[in-house]
Amino acid sequence: MSMVRRIAVQNMKYHKSKNILIGIAIFLTTLLLFLVPTMGKDMIEGQYAVTNKMYPSWHALVRGVNEETVKKLSVSHEVMVYGLRSDVGTMPVKDAQISMMFLDDHGMALNNMELLEGNMPQQENEIVVSQGILKCLGQKAEIGDTINVPYQVMHGGILDYTKEKDFVVTGFLEDATEDQTMFNALVSEAFLRSEVPGEEIVYRFLFQVLTEEDETTTQIQERILKMTGRLGIAETDVRVNTEYLGANYVDPVMVSVIVGIMCIIVLAGVITIYSIYYVGLSDRVREFGKIKAMGASKKQLKGMVLWEGMSVAMIAMPIGLILGTILTKIILLSIVNVSANDNAYTGVLKEVISSGDVQLYHVSLYVLAVVVTLLTVGLALHKPMRVVSKISEIEAIRFQGTEGQTGKGQKKYRKSHKEISVLGLAKIYLLGKKKNSFITILAMSITGIFVIVVATVLSCADPKKSADASLTGQYEISAITQSGNREHPEWEWSYVIKDNPLTEELKQQILEIDGVTSVVTFTEAFVTSDTFEGETWGIKGVPEEYADFLLDGIIEGSAAYEDLKTGTKCILDKNMLYWFPDIKLGDTLELKVSDGTEKTVEVEVIAISDFPSGFSQFQYLFMASEGLGKICDGDLKGTYSVFAKERYNKDTLSAFEELMEGNERCQLNTWKKEYDQWKSALLVTTAAAYAFLGILGAICIMNVINTMIHSVHIRKKEIGMMQAMGMTNHQLVKMLRTEGLFYTAGTLLISVGLGSILGYPVFLMAKDQGWFNIREYHYPYAAVVIVMVILLIVQMFLAGALGGKVKKESLIERIRYSE
Amino acid sequence: MGSIVKVKNLVKYYGSEGNVVKAVDHTDLEIERGRFTAIIGRSGSGKSTLLHLLGGLDTPDSGNVFIEEKDMYALKGDALAAFRREKIGFIFQDFNLIPSLTVWENVVLPLGLAGKKVNERDVMDVLKNIGIDEKKNALPNTLSGGQKQRCAIARALVSSPAIILADEPTGNLDSQTEQEVMSILKKCVRDYGQTLIMITHDEAIAQMADVVVMIEDGKVVK
Repeated sequence: MSMVRRIAVQNMKYHKSKNILIGIAIFLTTLLLFLVPTMGKDMIEGQYAVTNKMYPSWHALVRGVNEETVKKLSVSHEVMVYGLRSDVGTMPVKDAQISMMFLDDHGMALNNMELLEGNMPQQENEIVVSQGILKCLGQKAEIGDTINVPYQVMHGGILDYTKEKDFVVTGFLEDATEDQTMFNALVSEAFLRSEVPGEEIVYRFLFQVLTEEDETTTQIQERILKMTGRLGIAETDVRVNTEYLGANYVDPVMVSVIVGIMCIIVLAGVITIYSIYYVGLSDRVREFGKIKAMGASKKQLKGMVLWEGMSVAMIAMPIGLILGTILTKIILLSIVNVSANDNAYTGVLKEVISSGDVQLYHVSLYVLAVVVTLLTVGLALHKPMRVVSKISEIEAIRFQGTEGQTGKGQKKYRKSHKEISVLGLAKIYLLGKKKNSFITILAMSITGIFVIVVATVLSCADPKKSADASLTGQYEISAITQSGNREHPEWEWSYVIKDNPLTEELKQQILEIDGVTSVVTFTEAFVTSDTFEGETWGIKGVPEEYADFLLDGIIEGSAAYEDLKTGTKCILDKNMLYWFPDIKLGDTLELKVSDGTEKTVEVEVIAISDFPSGFSQFQYLFMASEGLGKICDGDLKGTYSVFAKERYNKDTLSAFEELMEGNERCQLNTWKKEYDQWKSALLVTTAAAYAFLGILGAICIMNVINTMIHSVHIRKKEIGMMQAMGMTNHQLVKMLRTEGLFYTAGTLLISVGLGSILGYPVFLMAKDQGWFNIREYHYPYAAVVIVMVILLIVQMFLAGALGGKVKKESLIERIRYSE
Repeated sequence: MGSIVKVKNLVKYYGSEGNVVKAVDHTDLEIERGRFTAIIGRSGSGKSTLLHLLGGLDTPDSGNVFIEEKDMYALKGDALAAFRREKIGFIFQDFNLIPSLTVWENVVLPLGLAGKKVNERDVMDVLKNIGIDEKKNALPNTLSGGQKQRCAIARALVSSPAIILADEPTGNLDSQTEQEVMSILKKCVRDYGQTLIMITHDEAIAQMADVVVMIEDGKVVK
């Protein structure tokens, strides 16, 4: 070990208490620097794993594709991987439906299917089945055994006569459940071709396209439809796997948020470690000056400071990483447990985390945490290294402790206080150490400000209010509308307006439910426009009883309800401007109504509004219901908003669920469902945010601990002298408490003051961005009180502990003490 | 004049078995009120330990110290601190001024700790008598050694304690300043009627005392 390192290690041991505090700060910094990106990455990878487990991984499929189109699609440069599926026929069995299909290897992979055992069928007489299928067939078999299969081949949409054939079982598929009634048996391509003439064979072309890193789900969807459109494939024959694409889409903002949080941790770490070094650096000048007088170079002095800091880091970092490793799984499972409810997604997420399907620990993130922590320590040590390297030998040797300091900038005189009390002593000491006090307060205030700002947003987020803002009334029944779903043509809006499931009879049934007070009918129409770049958007028709609410939501321009009845004027929600920033007040929009008539109408934007999502339901154009009726024919009812006596009543909810049971054309949304979702989301967010802030706060509290320990350490002799003059222990603790109170009060003043000032614009931003459906500002009194109490407890405890520590040495030991 | 300090069979040993230093070894002593008593002895003889025990700064292993008939070590914690504040003033070789306080504030500190009101005229009189009044707003780091010790003396005198304990108060001063400080101390004891107990190894200073106590190996020998 070099002399520099040896001295550094000895210094680390000598200044034990200071280095313990720095060690704690480094340990907590490492912990956060490890946990934040690890949790972020784990959540993303968990999301991928769940998605891959729950949904097939194809981006889109094209139905009814013949071999020529397969060739065309497969050579498209946008297609990354593709698989083929062709339905051959069915097995006629009682109480179950067994499809016989050909699926190639890629098709298997894209459908997230894999064989439980065995191989895929290759020969004409080979088949893959499941135990469920064998049970339905009333046969038993192992791999290699032959089974007799009755089957009907599909010819042009018609099932042919039943035939029988012996098949050799080459593999098994797993059954999802024991009482499963729908099965797939896999047959070979040879069997397909032997049963279906070449010109009759149609495939489902399953594929993934090449995607770019920051490409959104909508952009991928548009690209797929554009590509298939170029090949002359109708949009209705293409099904985009929006579930998979949506779940696999990582919001690029998330990465920015993680990087932002890491920057805050680094900032807190640098300020804390630096200020712990800074407080008391002047006392160490003498030590380093003596070493310099003995011939140490500037580089060696810098090296000593750096090695001392890095030696502490070498001990503290592994502890942070070990604890981070232990906490990762615990925290992830806690988050999943809290938000689990009966949500299938979180259930699978819990399963993939517990089973180890998701790799929770990443070497790269351990390296990242170590590198960033070392960088943090390096940055914090930069100034102390410079100070130490500039020490003059003679000044250091002459240095006689704080009493003897006569350096530049030292005050020689000041007006005396006529009387000196214990409080006065504390005040004079603190004012004499302005820079130390300022750095300590500043370091603590950064976290304090952050806590108050975050607390402001969280206190504005009330699950009850968020649920209130998520729907109009306490129950909403709306007609399901979806375009391009071949399995549900009744969901096409053009169909809905001809045969609307929101009937008067249904309304009457709703009104008869016990606890229901009224039902408000909102209408809707779907339109496209060049202004919307061809996208379909909804116009909401607002009934007269909601006229005031509609007009109150206007934030720019003006409108009368009568104007909105004309069908030529509308209100545009400000969210629309996010997607189409070129739209301005007074613009006339040329809208093509998507009711199948291709009718075009001109509508003027006379006002801009800001409504909660529960009202707009993501339809960002508003008219009076009467006006909407003028631009579009048909039954336009979109939603029955139901008002009940109570936000939640078990019996009322059951009655609604019963009413909607088996209704595949309507969907029910309830206040209770929204409340549960918001509650669990807020609980997780609040717990995570406060846990993070708690650790960040603990890093910064190291400052005040260091400052107070240091203030007692360097004043050991003068405190001893004051006690010799008759200062009681009670007075000593009071003096230390007053000093601590000064840091507490300073920190609180800056944290609460600046935090409150900054909290408001952050609330406005949260409201604007729709975070937690925040609508109202609430001052975070609870957080302010908690921060206040924590700081008071810390400083009271510190003052008591330090007073106790002082007492351990006899008075004469303290008076004789010389650094 | 009666005794103000009575020491009975006082014992203070340092170190552990096999390496025991008998700093104060079964010592008896009586010091008269209003007199200047010098305690002399060689380095390590135990004179400083005896002074610290007289001032309640250290704890004896056994024995008693009576100040004005009160058994000082029967008092504990804050009661001992209050008693010390009331009865004893200290002057140390290295001054022990509080660096963040001005001369005035250092001087009035014992009054503040006792919760007493500061009588500005009385304090100014003390400062004038000692010759430090012009430096009353100065911080200790700007004072010479002599000025610092005058400040320390003023601090010891201001609350009018019955006893002033001085631990080699001139040890860090040049000979001229030493003479000045000694005359101030003697004058103050005379003017304010206080008892001065001073440790010194300087024969010349000991000559100025009314009573000289010699310590050797922790025992009063003369």
